Amino acid sequence: MTSSERRTAPGGHLCWSYDDPESLADQTERHLAASLAAGERFWYVTPRPSDLVAERLRALPGFTDAVRRGAAEVIPLMSTYSPDHVVDPPAQVAAYAGATDEALADGHTGLRVVAEATELVRTPAQLDVFTRYEHLIDRYMRTGPFKAVCAYHRPKLGDRTITELACMHPQTNVEDLLFQLYAVAPDDGHAAIAGELDMSNHELFRTALDRADLRPVDGELILSAADLRFLDHRALTLLAEYAHRRGATAVLRTPRPAAARLVDLLRLPAIRVEVTA
Amino acid sequence: MRTGAAAGHHGYYHEALRYGSDDDLLAVVVPFLLGGVDAGEPTFVALGERTGGLVRSALPAGCPVEFLPGGDLYARPAAAIRFYRQLLAEQVAAGAGQIRIIGEVPSASFGATWDWWARYESAINHAYDEFPLWSMCAYDSRITPPAVLADVARTHPRFATPGGRHVPSPTWTPPRDYLRQALPVVPDPLQAQPPAVELTDPTAAEARTAVHKADQGQVPVDDVEDLVVAVSEIVTNALRHGRPPVRLRVWAGDDRIVATVSDAGDGPGDPFCGLLPASDGAPGGLGLWITYQSCNHVTWQRDDDGFTLRLTAGNAYTG
Repeated sequence: MTSSERRTAPGGHLCWSYDDPESLADQTERHLAASLAAGERFWYVTPRPSDLVAERLRALPGFTDAVRRGAAEVIPLMSTYSPDHVVDPPAQVAAYAGATDEALADGHTGLRVVAEATELVRTPAQLDVFTRYEHLIDRYMRTGPFKAVCAYHRPKLGDRTITELACMHPQTNVEDLLFQLYAVAPDDGHAAIAGELDMSNHELFRTALDRADLRPVDGELILSAADLRFLDHRALTLLAEYAHRRGATAVLRTPRPAAARLVDLLRLPAIRVEVTA
Repeated sequence: MRTGAAAGHHGYYHEALRYGSDDDLLAVVVPFLLGGVDAGEPTFVALGERTGGLVRSALPAGCPVEFLPGGDLYARPAAAIRFYRQLLAEQVAAGAGQIRIIGEVPSASFGATWDWWARYESAINHAYDEFPLWSMCAYDSRITPPAVLADVARTHPRFATPGGRHVPSPTWTPPRDYLRQALPVVPDPLQAQPPAVELTDPTAAEARTAVHKADQGQVPVDDVEDLVVAVSEIVTNALRHGRPPVRLRVWAGDDRIVATVSDAGDGPGDPFCGLLPASDGAPGGLGLWITYQSCNHVTWQRDDDGFTLRLTAGNAYTG
C-alpha cells in the first residue's frame, strides 16, 4: 500500500501488534523521541511498570531527564483504566481528555501515550467493550491534542483478536489487514471506512460498525470512503441495513462510481452514494 | 383482458418474426401495433434505427405507439430483462390488460456474442411470464446466420407470419431444457495467447489486483471498475460454491480485458442464473446477476474439466 492510497488516514492513533517485546521497546523509544521533540507529555502505560519496555526507557538519559521535568512517566495500567480490567469507554475517554488538558496546562503541546493494553482484551467481553472504547477515543483524537499507540501482544491474543482491534485504528502495523473503520474530523461526517470490503471480511465489517455505534445526525450517517478501494454488494447491503436500523440513510462519499451503480442496480433503500471528485 | 392472437393466453405470448423483406416486416408489425392501439393497450417499438424508421413511417401520424431506444436497450441481456421487467410492472400497475412490444436484437450480436442473446431469448419465456405481454422478436432472414435462426426457432414457441397467422415452432424447446444444454462459445482470439495473469485459488482481493494489473488504460475506467466487481463476485462464488482448483486467467487486449474464472464443479444449478436475480436466494445468484449487468459479454461453459465463466470489459470480440 502506498502513501498516496492512504492519503486521508489521520495520524495519531496507531495499533501496534508485536510478537517480540524488544520490537515494542524500539517502537516506544521512537515515539518517546518524537513526542519530546514535539513538546508533548509522554506516558508509557503498562500493567507491569518494570517490564522490558519500561526498563529500556529508564536506561535512556533523555527519558530520566524528561521524567524529572514532568514530561514523561511510566504509568501503571491500573491507575488509568478501571481496576476490574473492563474499561468504561466514556469514563476512560474523559480520563485521557483530563490528562491531556493537564498536559496543556503544564505547558506541553499535548499528550502521547504508548499503552500496552493486552490485559484489557483477553476475554470476548473485554474485547467488545474495549473496541468500542477504541472508536470513542479515536473520535477524541480528531479534536484533542492526544495521540496513542495501542500495543497488543499477538501471541497472547491471536490473529483474530488483533484484526478486530487493528481495524478500529486509522493506522496499524498489521500487514494483511484489508479493512479499517476510523473517526474523522466532525465536519467530515461520522466515520471513514478504508481498504477493501468483500466476503472475507463481511463479519468483521458488521462487528466494526456495531462497535463504532454511529449516531445519525438529521437522519443521515455520513461515511467518508475516499480510501475505500472496493466494496461489494454484501457490504453495501449491510451498510444499508445498519443505517435503516438506526432510522437513517447512509451517505457514502467515494470517488468510485462503481458503488453508485451497484446501489442503483440493487435498488437499495437507506443508502446514497455521493461520488466525490 | 387479452386481445388478438394472445386472447385467452395466460402470461407471456412470445413470438418470433422472421422476415425476408421490408414489406413482410411491415405486413406483420403494422397490424400488430395498430391492434394494440385500437384495444387501448400500451404498445412499444424497440427496433434498430433502420427498421424502426420503416415502422414509424408506416404508422398513421400521431399514432400513440411508444418508440424505445432499441440499440441501447439491447446492449446487455440482463440489463434488457431488468429494463423490460420494470416497464411491464409499471404498465400492469397502471392497469394494462395486455402490453405489446416489437423488439429486435441488433445484428452486431449475431456473431461471437450470440450465445448470451440466445440464452436471453430462451430465459425471457420465463422472465416475462408473470406479465400479460405479447411480444414479437424480429429477425431479418437476409442477414441472420442460419445457426442464429435455428436458436430463434428453439427459443420462441411460435412464429408470427404475414396474413395474421401464428404458427407453432416445431423445434421449440422450453427454457429449462434449452438453457441446460451446452451452447457453443466462440473463443476470444486473445485466449490463444498466454494470459497476462494466471492465478490458482486466488483470494477475491488477489483476483481484483490481477484485473487492475491488466488495465493499461485501453478500457474506460468505469468498465474496468465494473469488471473488478464482476471478477471479485465470480471468484468468491467459485471459492464458496465451486470445487477447487479455482483458476483465474486475465488477458489484456488493445481494446478490452478478458478474464476467465474456472473451477472443477458443475456451475450454478439454476438455468436462469445471471440473467435474472435469484429470487430464492440461490447460492451465488446475486453475484452472477451483477456480473451480467457489469460486463460487455459473459459466456458460460461446462465441460469435463468443470465450469468456466468468461467476462469481457471494453469492446467484446464479436467475431
